Amino acid sequence: MTEQEILAAVQDIFRDNFDDDSLEITRATCADDIEDWDSLEQINLLTAIEKKFNIKFKLSDVRGLKDVGDLLDLVARMV
Amino acid sequence: MAYTYLITGATSDVGRALIERLLQSAPADTLVLAQGCGDLAKMAELCRRYPGQLRTYDVDLSDRAKVDAFVEMLAADAPAPTHFIHLPALPVVNTKFKAFDQRRFDLDLEIEVHSAVRLCKAVLPAMARAKFGRVLFIQTSYTIGCPPKNTAAYVMAKSAIGGLVKSLAVEYAKFGVTVNCVAPSMMETNFLKDTPDLIVQAAAEDNPMGRNATPADVVPAMTFLLSDEAGFITGVTLPVTGGSAIV
Repeated sequence: MTEQEILAAVQDIFRDNFDDDSLEITRATCADDIEDWDSLEQINLLTAIEKKFNIKFKLSDVRGLKDVGDLLDLVARMV
Repeated sequence: MAYTYLITGATSDVGRALIERLLQSAPADTLVLAQGCGDLAKMAELCRRYPGQLRTYDVDLSDRAKVDAFVEMLAADAPAPTHFIHLPALPVVNTKFKAFDQRRFDLDLEIEVHSAVRLCKAVLPAMARAKFGRVLFIQTSYTIGCPPKNTAAYVMAKSAIGGLVKSLAVEYAKFGVTVNCVAPSMMETNFLKDTPDLIVQAAAEDNPMGRNATPADVVPAMTFLLSDEAGFITGVTLPVTGGSAIV
């Protein structure tokens, strides 16, 4: 799976989660860029990503994720 | 005096562990009246192991009329409970306040609080007449100090239980009836089925003991508060938290 494919799938998850069909994310997008992206939404995003890619994060995997780029790299390592 | 335990939410992991613990060393005339809702099959093993000591009732505690019918059935068919343990709760959902629907708040209050009031009204008079009784609730460490975000309905209902416990404790103390609660931190049971794994893992990691609670941690605290020797302890909330919430 290419990074572009992962990004596209993650973007769909972000759009669904934040209920915003026009949302565009990049590697640099972080919680400061999306008003509703708080700790609960972070968990919701990660849970949806786990389901989509059929992977299971450990807490140590996801603590310290700074931006979408870190998230994409993490998913790429696991799929 | 033969003891009769009325346990609501008895089909939960904690309920079943408590029943096992109570009956394994109890006299043969000890009786457990166990309420569940649509899941009494979970009691089959205990019923097999303790024939004649366990009566099960399928009651929807969110329906006041059914709670009242349950009370009438108990009054007609069963000895007056000497012990009442109220455990029912809906699995916690992690949802922002603005996304909670009113129905969820109503259901939490019905199942945990309004049913408790109705059942306490039913069982406390006989306990007071007998000059003995034990009432025990399960609260949560979320009501101690700062609660986690996104659990408003659960924390609201559990906090109401805390108020009921204190009020009943002072009213019934002179009758030898104690009213207490245990307040576990996150407990790894089927109750967490709607809680994301990452939240469960984070709670374990943040706990001073490095893990979440289990029924085996909580049930001994419950049996202590239900015991004869705990007769001078009333109105307390006993944290069972591994140190994650300290009064």
